[in-house]
Order: sequence, then C-alpha cells, then structure tokens
Amino acid sequence: MDPSRRNLLKATSVLLVEHLANSRKFAFAGEPVSASGRDERKVIVVACGGIRRAETFLDTGLENIPHLYHDLLPRSVFYPLIRNAGVTSHYNTISSILTGNWQRLDDWGKTPPANPTFFEYLRKRMALPQDAAWVISSNKALTSRIGASSIRDFGPRYGANVIFPKQLLINAVIQAASQGHPEHSADRVAMRQELEAILQHADNYEGLGWSVSGNESFLDLRMQSSMQQAIEELVRTNAPVTGDEFTLLISEEVMRRFSPSLLAITFSDVEVAHFGSYSMHLAGIRTMDRLVYELWNLIQELPAYRGRTTLFVLPEFGRDFDGSNTNGFFNHRSNNDSTNLTWLMCLGEAARSADVIERPIQHIDLCPTIAGMFGIEDLDLPGKRLPGLSS
Amino acid sequence: MNERPGKAQTGTLSPDAYRGLVDRLPLTMRPALNQQLSQWSLLFPFEQNRVASLMKGIEAFSPSGLGAVTAPLWALEKKMGVKDWNFSETHDTIENASQLARSEYYSEWRREVQKVFDTVNAAAQSATPTAAERTRLIFLILPRSLPVSPQSVWRQWDPLGHEVRISDDSERLCELALQGQQDLVTLAAQQGGVESSDVWLIDAEAKLHSMLSNVSPIAASSLGYAALKPFRDRFLAELNQAPKDIQATDEIVAKLRLESWEGWGLWPAEIANQPRLRKFVIDLFLSGNGALIFSNAFVEWAVAEALRRARPRTIVARFGMRSKPKPFTSIAIFENQQRVSSLPDVDDPENSAVDAVILARYAWLAASRYPEQQQTLCICVSEHCDSAYVVPPAGKRLGWGPEHPIASEELYRWLTTQYLS
Repeated sequence: MDPSRRNLLKATSVLLVEHLANSRKFAFAGEPVSASGRDERKVIVVACGGIRRAETFLDTGLENIPHLYHDLLPRSVFYPLIRNAGVTSHYNTISSILTGNWQRLDDWGKTPPANPTFFEYLRKRMALPQDAAWVISSNKALTSRIGASSIRDFGPRYGANVIFPKQLLINAVIQAASQGHPEHSADRVAMRQELEAILQHADNYEGLGWSVSGNESFLDLRMQSSMQQAIEELVRTNAPVTGDEFTLLISEEVMRRFSPSLLAITFSDVEVAHFGSYSMHLAGIRTMDRLVYELWNLIQELPAYRGRTTLFVLPEFGRDFDGSNTNGFFNHRSNNDSTNLTWLMCLGEAARSADVIERPIQHIDLCPTIAGMFGIEDLDLPGKRLPGLSS
Repeated sequence: MNERPGKAQTGTLSPDAYRGLVDRLPLTMRPALNQQLSQWSLLFPFEQNRVASLMKGIEAFSPSGLGAVTAPLWALEKKMGVKDWNFSETHDTIENASQLARSEYYSEWRREVQKVFDTVNAAAQSATPTAAERTRLIFLILPRSLPVSPQSVWRQWDPLGHEVRISDDSERLCELALQGQQDLVTLAAQQGGVESSDVWLIDAEAKLHSMLSNVSPIAASSLGYAALKPFRDRFLAELNQAPKDIQATDEIVAKLRLESWEGWGLWPAEIANQPRLRKFVIDLFLSGNGALIFSNAFVEWAVAEALRRARPRTIVARFGMRSKPKPFTSIAIFENQQRVSSLPDVDDPENSAVDAVILARYAWLAASRYPEQQQTLCICVSEHCDSAYVVPPAGKRLGWGPEHPIASEELYRWLTTQYLS
C-alpha cells in the first residue's frame, strides 16, 4: 500500500479510537477502560462481503488471494463448502453469524437481531466488560443495532460496541460536497477540517455508528499535525482511499487499546460490484486478502493475542452466477450455489492441525462453535459446532 | 419519431379491462402488472403484447380453472402473511421486494409464481401461431482505447462461437454498420422495420449517435452515457437525498419515477421528444446496477433491459473508458466524482478494459435468456486486438475458416447476409 495513504488512514484511525476512548470515560465510568492483562481466549471473526468461490478458492480465482492461498491456507482448518441458507443480504447474514439463528430482518438494520448474539451470551455468562466485545464494520448496510439483540434478558447491556469507520470518511467527503466545496477533497487543510468537524459534532454517534453513548466529544489536538501531514501526502499522491484499509486500522487500534475477547470485523470494498466495476471488485478481493494477512500478523505480534486467538475468515455469501437474471456478479440474490455456497478459513488456537474439512457447514455453525470455545455448551441453537477444531 | 402502438392497443381489451383480470390473480403477482397498466402508453410494443398475451391466457380460464392454477400460490401467500404486510398492489416497491426476499418461503414463492406464469402463458400461446423470426443482431464494440488482453479476451465466451482475426483496421466495422451504404438501420427498414424500439444504439461515450447516417430512414433508440450527463448529475443528486429507510426511499423513487423531468433542458436531443425512451432511462437509473455511476455498467444494463423490455431485432453497443477513482471517492462511490473532488479526471484504460470485457459477455448472456437467442447473431469486436468473437445463429456456420484472418468489409458482408436471411 502507498505509504502516504497509510499515514492518512493510520492517523485518522488513532484519532478516532482516541476520541472513542475519551467518550467512553463518560459512558462507562467505573469499568476498566482497557481489558489488557486478562488471560483469556480471543476470537476474531472477519466477514468480507459477497465473494464468489470463482474469484477466490477455485482455480480461476487463486491469483486474487495470494496470502490466503499461499500463506494462510497451509496453517488453517479450511472449510470449502459453507452454505448461507438464510437471506443473502448483509444485515441478515451478519446477524445470522452473530446469533447462530437465521435472521429475517429489515435489510437496512431498522431492528436488532431477534436472537441473542454471541457477544451477549458470552458477556452475560462470563461477566465480560463492555470493552471485551466489538463490531467494526465497513458496511453501510449495517447499523449499530447489529451489536445486540431485542431479547429482554440480553440486549444492549450485554452487547458489543459498534463502529463504522468508513462512514467517517464518507461523511467528510459528502459534507464537503454538499457545502459546495469539492475542492476540499483535494485540499489538505480543508479535508482535515471536514474530518474534525464530523468528530467534534457527532453528538449522537449515529453518523459514525458506534453504540457507546457519551455526551462529551472532542478532538485530540495531539493528532492534528499528524493528520494534516498525512492528508497532505495523500492529496499529493492522488491515490484512492479504501474503506477496508481504514476499518483494519481502526481494528488494530482497538486491539491495541482494549484487547477485546470478541471482535467481529466486516469488510465491504468488494461490494463495489453492485455498481458494475469488476476490476474494482477484484481489487477489493485483493485488498481483503492482504488485510486478513496483516491482521494475522498483528495477532502474532500483540502479546494479548499471540497464542490465544482463533481467527475465522469467511465471505458473507457469494455473488450471482454469470448469466443469471439478477445480473451476475453485480448482486447476491439468486438462490444458487454461486450465491449461497462459499468458504470458511479458521486459523490460530482452534486450528492447531491444518486440515480441509469438505463436509458442508453453515454460517449459523459459528455461534455455537465460538460459545463452545469459551466453555458454553448448553445453548439451544440450530447450528452445530464446526468439526475439526481443537477444543 | 415513430412510436407505433402495438397490436395490443388496438385489440379488444383495454388497460382498464385488464385491471379486472389482474384482480383475479394472487396479491404478489399484481404490483408489476398494475404498474405496467398504469404506464401503458409508455410501454414498448413487445411489453404491451406480452401483457395482452398474459391477459388472454387468464381469460382462457374459467374462474374455477384459474382458481385451481393459482391455489398453491394463494395458499403460500397466506402462510407468508402477505395480507398483513405493507405490500403495494399497484407498484413494485423496494419494501415489497424486501418483504418477499426475507420470507422463509421466498424460494417456494418464486417457483409458484413461475408456475402460474408458465401455465397462463401456455394457455395464451396455444391459440397464437408464431411467426417466422428474422435473424437478430447484437453487435458489441470494445473500442481501441481499451487495452484488452489478446490471450484472455474471448476465453469465457460462448463455446458455440469463434474467435476471428481481422486483417485490417477493425474500427471500419463500426463505420460500415452505421455509415455504410448498407448500414444496419437502412437494412432493418428495408425489411419492414419501422419501430424505433427495434434498433438500439447504446454507447458509453458519444460516438454511435454521431456516426449514424442522417439519411437513415427510421430513427433508432439511441442512448449515450456521455450525452445523458446533465440529466444523470441531476438525477443522482436527487437520488442521494434518500435516507437509510426503505419507506422513505420508496417515496423518493416513486417521486422520481413520476416526475416529468421536462423543462429542465437536461435531456439530449435524441431523447428529448421521446417520452417512452425517457421513461426507459429513468427506470434504468432507478433499477441500480451501476447505470448511474459507471459508463460500461450503463451500457451492459441498458442492453439487458432493452432485451428484456423491447426484445429488439438489432442492438449496437459500444463500451468505453472510465476515470480512475479520485482520493476519497472510492469510499463514497455513489457520489458524483466530479462533484466531490475538484481534481481532474484521469483515464483508467486497463481497468476499464477489465470491466468492458466481462460486461460485453454479460450482454450476450442477457440475450441468451430468451428464445429469440436462437435466431441471434452476436459479434463482439475488440478494436485493440483487431479481433472479434462471432456467435452465429443456431444452425448457422461461419462462411470461412476461423483460423484465417478476414477483412472488415468481408466480415460485414457476411454479417449482412446473415442479417437479411
């Protein structure tokens, strides 16, 4: 990745997490801000949008996933056949993964999941603090309601923090344009102002999406100069910025500061396919491949994660087949293996013996598997624990 | 512009009479049909005839007979609880689609709807003799500016076709098709084609319409992404006002669909006086699939929708160049890149070529979904490679060995022979 772009995103991600940490002091007074030092298992789930097997783990797609294929597959338990038997929309699929039940909700996230998420099960049973569970998402189809269910005995008090970092960048761009200042997207000082303004005036957090409720928010002034420098470099390169890069950087900052036990990350650069650019869709797959590898390396690097983390990586679903009446790769609506069938890779603690498990599994199998890793075996869930993993 | 009414308009039933027939169908079949009836004068002849045929099929059943055909779907709708939904019977809405898609019976519902359509259509067609079909043509152009890979450009195309090397300047083919003495529009007219929806020119840039001979005896339906820019910009700005809420978005979509868009001076001349074609563009942009954002997606989706709605005899479609995403705009891709960034546009030839190659193939795959494909000749030309991929109509063969290069004029001559047969 272009180093100047990375500088911008890095600076912005630190800024955002700093901002969040400050606001958390008000929201959760009395709870420890950091969970580092807890000796516990960690689980990270990465869901990466709609990606067909044809563009990834079939012969036609291996060139798009060099890190997944060459670096990570040999040390993973790999499931080449995972079926999404639910609604192949983003909000429904992510909430199905989190709850272990197929969800049939408003696609635009108006309602919370109808069953408890694994965040709620684990936080309630194990008395985990709020900063132990996070959802960090690129996907604008989600809302902060994804972090906790509508079930009375569970719900937001046991839910996850939810952040949509990409929305910060989008808001800044749109704000500049709507105020008649397109030059701001090409001007370092102006763009910095747009970003800062959004952070300073995000009173209800809905624009950025996190569920932490605080009424104090201010910009960490220490970050301003690095932000300005990074934006200056970014503008000079005339290079695009991707939302998934920023989502990973925020995730890294959250891992360093809060060391959550449960972290769900959703990438969505590949969803540019909805607009019909196949080249940009492939670029999104390659970005995802690289970011997952960076995340894996970070897990090995951070003491809070090294040797105690299980990482699951999976597309939410595939995409429609070439020639479908839903316009092929553009969409994910057809009831067909191209859309319903995808893959899952498991790395780390639970994947001590590399293997390929060809028995078909389902997205709803992740929740009971994750619960089982934390010793919770008695949940009444329709999914089954994934075969081939170490307990 | 001749927008001859279809046969259905002069038939025994009117759209008002059809409404009574639609009311005999299960709830979930009504929105699309009612929407078409409410816009009857803006439908293409093929669409009018298709609705008329369906209505004829419904009429062919006694009330108890139709009840038997639709009973499984009625029962399924009851299980799905459709009556309790906020379900529009008058128009297709995003909320309708969303409610159906998240039902646990969605797949079963799709199967049952298809069964009803198949049964009713079969009843209609049993009394309707089918006319002999003339050869149809889909002519796709990957312009010279797109550096496609000669090794892979045709790799995934229909195995029934042939790669053909062109021995001279392949750009000549497009000139012959639109400007030659035997241009396609003239040929169509010579065979009695007088309906503008029979010939479509769809362009990522602004070349095809300007090439079209001024003396062409009939007008074609001509859409150019570049020429539509003033309208696109305005439309996108309106669409981007939609909040993240299905009901509110449905309201905005309905407003945009009903808006006349006259008086703004936004339409290009070739569309300005064609309400049916203007409506097609609005529907195209509202149906997504990138048609508002990327020129090549516009071309592919316009071809697919023209095939679905107008079933034209001839389509000429030309792909083109898109710009590189500017800083920040790739994360706000639904925004107008020129509006959100003052940086100049920079061409992205390599990635435009990747997009165009798959989307040209999708255009042919879209045609392959319909029975008319059997009579369709498809030719896709890569001007950069001076090669083409030719899929002859079913049962037809190339008139020469595909291993031998062929000159543009000779290839066009063969094409016109097929077209006139």
